[in-house]
Amino acid sequence: MVEVRLEGVTKRFGRVTAVNSVNLVFGDGEFTALLGPSGSGKSTILYLVAGIYKPSEGRIYFGDRDVTDLMPNERNIGLVFQNYALYPHMTVYDNIAFPLKLRRTPPEVIRDKVLEVAKFLHISELLDRYPAQLSGGQQQRVALARALVKEPEVLLLDEPLSNLDALLRIKIRSELKRIQKELGVTAIYVTHDQSEALAMADKVVVINRGVIQQEAPPDTIYNEPRNVFVASFIGSPPSNIFPATMDYTEEPCINLPGGTRHCVEEEYAGVLWRMKPSKVIVGFRPEHAEIVENPVDGRPVIVGEVYTVEPLGRENIVTVASEDIHLKVITPPEVRPEAGELVYVAVERGKLMLFDPQTEINLKYIAREWSQGG
Amino acid sequence: MGEGIGEGGPLVRGTMGIVIILALLLASLPIIMTYSTLVMTSFANTIVSSPWVKFRFTLENWRLFLEGKLAPTAGIVYTPEDILRFILNTGIVAGGVTLVVLAASVTSAYAFSRMNFFMRSGMMKLLILLHAFPGVALIVGVYAIYVFLNNYIPRDYSIYYSFIFVIIARASLEIPMAIWILKGFFDRVPWELEWATIVDGGSRLTALRTAVLPLVKPGIAAVAIFAFLAGWEDLIYVLVFLPPQEKTLATYIESQLGSGSLETTYLPVVAAAGTLYLIPTIIFFVVTQRLLLETMSGGLKG
Amino acid sequence: MARRGRQALFFLLPMLILVVAFYILPLVLTAWISFTPLTNWRVRDQLVDFVGLENYVNLYYLARYDPDFHKVLQTTLVFVVLTLFINVVGGLVLAILTYLIDERISLGYRLLWLLPRMTPLAVFGLLWYYFFYGGPQGTLNSFFLKMGIIDEPMRWGTDPAMLPYSAWAIIVFVNGLVGVSYGMIIFYSAFKNIPRELIIAARVDGAKTWEVIRHILVPIVRWHIVFVTVWQLLSLITSYTHLFVLVQWSVVDKWYGTTLALYVFNTAFFDVKNQGFAAAAAVILVIIGSILGLLTLRIMRFSQMISPPRGDI
Ligand SMILES: Nc1ncnc2c1ncn2[C@@H]1O[C@H](COP(=O)(O)OP(=O)(O)OP(=O)(O)O)[C@@H](O)[C@H]1O
Ligand SMILES: [Mg+2]
Repeated sequence: MVEVRLEGVTKRFGRVTAVNSVNLVFGDGEFTALLGPSGSGKSTILYLVAGIYKPSEGRIYFGDRDVTDLMPNERNIGLVFQNYALYPHMTVYDNIAFPLKLRRTPPEVIRDKVLEVAKFLHISELLDRYPAQLSGGQQQRVALARALVKEPEVLLLDEPLSNLDALLRIKIRSELKRIQKELGVTAIYVTHDQSEALAMADKVVVINRGVIQQEAPPDTIYNEPRNVFVASFIGSPPSNIFPATMDYTEEPCINLPGGTRHCVEEEYAGVLWRMKPSKVIVGFRPEHAEIVENPVDGRPVIVGEVYTVEPLGRENIVTVASEDIHLKVITPPEVRPEAGELVYVAVERGKLMLFDPQTEINLKYIAREWSQGG
Repeated sequence: MGEGIGEGGPLVRGTMGIVIILALLLASLPIIMTYSTLVMTSFANTIVSSPWVKFRFTLENWRLFLEGKLAPTAGIVYTPEDILRFILNTGIVAGGVTLVVLAASVTSAYAFSRMNFFMRSGMMKLLILLHAFPGVALIVGVYAIYVFLNNYIPRDYSIYYSFIFVIIARASLEIPMAIWILKGFFDRVPWELEWATIVDGGSRLTALRTAVLPLVKPGIAAVAIFAFLAGWEDLIYVLVFLPPQEKTLATYIESQLGSGSLETTYLPVVAAAGTLYLIPTIIFFVVTQRLLLETMSGGLKG
Repeated sequence: MARRGRQALFFLLPMLILVVAFYILPLVLTAWISFTPLTNWRVRDQLVDFVGLENYVNLYYLARYDPDFHKVLQTTLVFVVLTLFINVVGGLVLAILTYLIDERISLGYRLLWLLPRMTPLAVFGLLWYYFFYGGPQGTLNSFFLKMGIIDEPMRWGTDPAMLPYSAWAIIVFVNGLVGVSYGMIIFYSAFKNIPRELIIAARVDGAKTWEVIRHILVPIVRWHIVFVTVWQLLSLITSYTHLFVLVQWSVVDKWYGTTLALYVFNTAFFDVKNQGFAAAAAVILVIIGSILGLLTLRIMRFSQMISPPRGDI
């Protein structure tokens, strides 16, 4: 319906800068997930788009329309608050009907729409109750219904599923996605559940301390994190991250913990030659490594001692201590080494990530920017 | 009885608990005695000097009081006073004060709780200062204004003028506290509720009306009760501003005892007046006890 | 910004009008009147007559030489100090005792002690009129007569033989009954905020009731005690209504029952109707009141009670 654009938006609360010069485009009809740790400024961005907060600097556009100075009621948005914000003195039905009443929709139409959205969210039996008589998950769905019923141009969701049980969450999240596509509404979805973000979103925006860390489709976020923060924030268990020294005698090689060396792949070599950092930050995902007995095939290998083994049924998480670094590796259930055993951790080819130690930016991206810059 | 202290039972139990309860009873004796003798006296033929004294039950005092037959001095010809009128006057002042207080405090309290404006906290501080202000310094100036404006009021309307003036002037005294109490109630309404209404297409006023006000009803009730009781109990302002023939229950009682010439035999009649006067206070007290206690402590919590 | 300013003004307007008309303007007028010879409310002709500091000079001479005014000043001092003591200490004792006992009984007692505060002034006066009544039917007289402590009824508050102490005792007692509930309520609600586990833990450790009071309850309300003291000091210096009734109904001696605030009121409205002079005395009260008021604001942690609004709507 409409594209939402933030241009150089900063929001300060006194001395706290909650959102720092953010440039973002939420594509028309796209489903964007806003992902970040607690206090990173996700809700603030949502409130800025809603018009509840006014930016300290920068402008906000809905399509061509500059909405920076418009009141929330002039923006046609639907908003699900993090704490639901249901009206305690109204029944569920009245809560959902309220936005339509404010628009002076005829009562019959209101009725139909409320019943429809209630059915979709499995809350039809709750319509006569008051919010205080609902569980957290039920309240959340009522709040979602209230935002959906008005068929807004922009749908803003502040962790709308955080209180549902796992089963219901998965069910609603796929239906939510379907209805979002059906309505063609531009959706911004705040969450700190990364699997939710990766599963639902067309695009994921990772934010930390009010600064955008990366803005990309889910698989890019996962496979090519732009910086150390994204790499360590996405994934469960998080990526293994550790510093390592470099050796440039013939070609750029990394001195891995445990005394092995690994000479980097093509895509990193150019950049390393040019920058010649004496150190890099190395990262890889636990699911991209395995425990092997015989390191032969040229994969990057780290030697260490098994520290703990956590069997999870479908897989095991093995922690390996090498020098003073602890690495996590996901292994198939049958691979269950003994604590104290000496093992080799081999990382899948091409899955080793290297970051600039100063800026913590993925060297791959630096290489790309260079090649683009000429 | 069997609850442990961990389950909300008393913190002190056994002999010590009983001693404390009895000590409190002893300390409360003057209150219990004076109130009960007042009520008993209103039904007796003489002053009942303590609750355990025997007396003859009679409704004569109530009859004399309601008929307004209370001789200033026995034997002197007098005209009965219109007690119903006095009761009505008391009600008018109390009701008027309630309306004025609510009208002036609800929106202001909302603004102090929810809006940012020039001198917001300065104004709030000023209000607290005003609440504590020497009332006697105010009443001198207020009366000067009253006298000054009275010159411009046509004679026929002067009685309305007096009533309206006394109501507004008395209500003003209650406004700082009312705003402070109400602000506390507004503060407890989550911001998101208001935002939800505005996001859904309402104006700020709609949000106040539909989302916020219904949630501060207890606060409004508390403030209304305080205002009503303040107007109901007022003696000084009514005495100063209303003409002598327009009495309220307070000034009626005051005029009986203040003249210093009332005979002892008529004192029980005044007790009837006092008992009647006390009834609304007691009713509010019993009905809203917890709300009252909570509001009084919430007003200036630290 | 301008729009929001107008919106706030709209919400505040009724209050602002009343505050200006019934606080600010009267205060200015009172200060003004203190420089005029206004008597008998002849505002038309006397309000623009200035007498300079004459009223203040008179006040000074009165304070130096007038025996009645001496009594007023003495009474003010005694009344404020003693009643303040009763209000704070009595309030604390009541709060502690009601906190320790069973909740339902406690509620009953707290309501009972709140009753004097909520009782109409005229009725409250009436109660003590009967209590201290000079005839044999008065509660106090009948009690003492029965006990054989006195032979004939006494006029408790006005008998010259017992002045000034009896009058002072009565005004302190009657006002104390009203004032004590304020401290009680503030302290009690502070106690209620103490996590119960704290006290239970102390109990388990073997602390006696007295030790719980001394080492937990009292320290926790230290700040509240300061606050209640200053606030009650202010209200005692400026209050006059209960005393007005007691004096007017001759329950107590005229001068030994009159504090400065009541003196101002009676001078302006009843006795000599000398408003210029009364206003000068009122200004003194205003100055004392302002200082104490500012002090209260200082200690009441005001900034914690008013948080900035959220959102930019
Ligand atoms: N009204 C405010 N006044 C001052 N600081 C604020 C305000 N609102 C938010 N902040 C600060 O701004 C930062 C971002 O807050 P925000 O609510 O946007 O975080 P969030 O990403 O939504 O976190 P969460 O996942 O916990 O909801 C935080 O540091 C917060 O303390
Ligand atoms: Mg948030």
